[in-house]
Amino acid sequence: MSLRIHVSTLRRHSLMPLLVLLQVMLACAILCNVLFLTWQQLAPMLAPSGVDTADLVLVDHLPSPGRPWTAAEVQAGTEALREVPGVRAVSAANGLPMIANYLYMVAMQGPTGVKLGANGYQGYDLLDTLGLQLVSGRNFRPDEYRDIGTDQGKGTLEPVIITQSMARQLFGKASPLGGVLRAPGDHKDPGWQVVGVVRHLLRNQVGMATRGRADNTVLLPQRVAKTSWLFYAVRVDPSMRQAALRGIRKALQRQFGALLPVGTKPRAEFYAVHRAAVFKSRRAALWMFAGVALTVVIVTVIGIMGLTGFWVQKRTRQIGIRRALGARRVDILRYFLVENALIVGLGVVLGMALAYVGNAWLMHAYELSRLPWTYLPYGALLMLLLGQLAVLSPALRAARVPPVVATRSV
Amino acid sequence: MWHYNLELAVRGLRRFPRSTMLVLLTVALGLAACMTTLTLLHMLSADPLPGRSQNLYLAWVDTVLAKPMDSHSAAMELNHVTFDTGYHRIKLADAQALLAAHRAVRQTVVADMEADEISGDGRHAERQQLILATTSDFIPMFGVTLRYGRDWTPAEDANRTPVAVIDTDLATKLFGTPDAVGRDVRLKHTLFRVVGVIQPYAPQPSFYALDHGAYSSDGGENLYAPYTAALDAGLVPDDSDACDASYKASATQAANDPQHCATLGLWVQLDTPRQVAGYRAYLQGYVQQQTALAGFGKPPRSQLTGVADWLKQKNVVPDRVRLNVWLAGSFLLLCMVNVAGLLSARFLRRSGEVGIRRALGAPRRAVFQQHVLEAGLVCLVGGVLAWPLTLLGLWILRQQGDAFSGLARLDPAMFGALFGLALLVGVLVGLLPAWRVAVVEPGLQVKSE
Repeated sequence: MSLRIHVSTLRRHSLMPLLVLLQVMLACAILCNVLFLTWQQLAPMLAPSGVDTADLVLVDHLPSPGRPWTAAEVQAGTEALREVPGVRAVSAANGLPMIANYLYMVAMQGPTGVKLGANGYQGYDLLDTLGLQLVSGRNFRPDEYRDIGTDQGKGTLEPVIITQSMARQLFGKASPLGGVLRAPGDHKDPGWQVVGVVRHLLRNQVGMATRGRADNTVLLPQRVAKTSWLFYAVRVDPSMRQAALRGIRKALQRQFGALLPVGTKPRAEFYAVHRAAVFKSRRAALWMFAGVALTVVIVTVIGIMGLTGFWVQKRTRQIGIRRALGARRVDILRYFLVENALIVGLGVVLGMALAYVGNAWLMHAYELSRLPWTYLPYGALLMLLLGQLAVLSPALRAARVPPVVATRSV
Repeated sequence: MWHYNLELAVRGLRRFPRSTMLVLLTVALGLAACMTTLTLLHMLSADPLPGRSQNLYLAWVDTVLAKPMDSHSAAMELNHVTFDTGYHRIKLADAQALLAAHRAVRQTVVADMEADEISGDGRHAERQQLILATTSDFIPMFGVTLRYGRDWTPAEDANRTPVAVIDTDLATKLFGTPDAVGRDVRLKHTLFRVVGVIQPYAPQPSFYALDHGAYSSDGGENLYAPYTAALDAGLVPDDSDACDASYKASATQAANDPQHCATLGLWVQLDTPRQVAGYRAYLQGYVQQQTALAGFGKPPRSQLTGVADWLKQKNVVPDRVRLNVWLAGSFLLLCMVNVAGLLSARFLRRSGEVGIRRALGAPRRAVFQQHVLEAGLVCLVGGVLAWPLTLLGLWILRQQGDAFSGLARLDPAMFGALFGLALLVGVLVGLLPAWRVAVVEPGLQVKSE
């Protein structure tokens, strides 16, 4: 059966197909945008942390007592935590994964001219404490560390450990080891020299961990000394997890309790607990978007089914005539499936255009990022499948129409 | 005629109960989604102080002796972080000078401070409470309702008298009775005499203390005291916009000394456009006299911002709330197209009857009216169904745990809007199917039956 017949039928009875088309168009536009919003929420949750998370305890809620913490206090805290039974490694740090209330941001420009923004983690020997996987190069040497808040090492290249993803973005195919990164817009800053590359390291600005930017994180050879912000990363023995956690809490209370403002308590929790807290609102948003998408799908399917059902019923007699003239059941079935695919296909094309316009407007009004083209085919495919699914039951009903109907009056 | 058409419409509704249910459910879902998001937006963008806010202005002069903050560094730009340009607070000396000038109808300063509130006898304590350090003008200016006692006087401000006005909640917690006039509350080491008790006061959004979050479900400050006395007691403002460059005394760096840091918000009441223009000129004149600023390459900057503009400037209604309204709106549109389709199918199924009615002399208008009526009726019933669904949606929003989600409640205005929207949707959705069925040719239909 040629397409011409389909098209001419559709043109003669245009109300029903038009309504289906309109529905598909709207649904497609909404679905594409919702899928995109969902992905924005989901991407940071799916990104690999790069950290050996199982036995890692992160400590925060150590507000400085009306003055910055001194280097001695920071060091005493490190020592106290190290003495807790079951603790394997301790690093005082500024900036840690899954701790969002301290951000250290850097801008780096590679030799190819590519600029990117990244989060920096500072602390002594974070590479080992976090359990990162070094793929090339080396860890910082002890003599390379500089104290935060001092002029140590000022004016000389600072060693840096970057991630594989950053190496790819900044150096392309060239080897990143030994490569120099500049600070764009700051001519006085000598920049950084790459000494090592780790496989993954999730940034703590999780809202930015989408579209290939999740691993935009660097390790800097900076020792936490005099500081207003203080965090600890503690690696514990897998066989003593709970005992070590209790010990860490006691040690923190003993060490910092008297200095902290009234009512504040240091928080020591395993990585997973911090992660759950950071992603809490994202999970809620995810459920909401999933609910919206599901409702849109259901409403559309019901709409297509209802309209096509009516339309099939209207044409019962024609179907009977065609059956009497020798059309097989499968021909009738195929006829309705093809017709639906035509309508839905057109709706999808228009819907994708609408989705793009809608996204462009949202981008302008709410600083949302651009909908990548790759989302559109997914939305389109989903809609086409849904259309076929929705038309299946009315089409099967049509296929069951016996040829004898042709001889009846209705 | 109306009555007859209504009867036909009701009869039509009861004919295909299954499809009626589908239509009802679709309409209800669309309306509920739309109303849930609209209600939240409505609550969040409400006027915090109806009748007063249009006369209140935040006055700001930039006299911080430091280089302008670098808010556009490459690192921030590439990481898509924008620096909040501050809450337009000023330093103590400027606040005192501007207060003393009395150029506005009323003027007051505000600063949030945190402290433990302990009853005079030491028996009860509320830890880490928010205190508003302000002046005597605050209570009349911001429309705070006094329950017992009095507010403090300008003389008490000037004499740095440790007096306080607390709200009934705190009074009950600390003293077991709402009437706590004459009792003492200890802040740090100073006893503050309670001179008045007010109704709990927490305008939403709390436009004069945005740094603690624009919305709070648990109220904000529960104790108000003269800022002069509060500073004497050793309380420190929680937060500052910026500090003088020379103020780098390492031992006190984290403390926001109001002498050197912009920590006080200056609010003025101006009743006429002339007063506003006059005050604006006065502020600019004031900042131009601050010759020390030139050394830091700072232009003389001042600003006078009304409440509505201030809320817009600080973008207090989160973008995603508006985004959700658009999402829900487009979903409602989808539901409307869907319902228009389902109704068309329903109506056209009856084209036989319509044909007979038309052949017997019913005018097109009557047929059209009957069907629009039926559509309107469906959507009204859908609206009734959407009511519990909207309540459910708001309940879900309240479970999200955002600071503002506690505000997601249906007020009478939004309840009315729900049915207004339902009716509008009904008529819009009914137009096309009703027209389609009204143009049915009577002859053809009767013949084929």
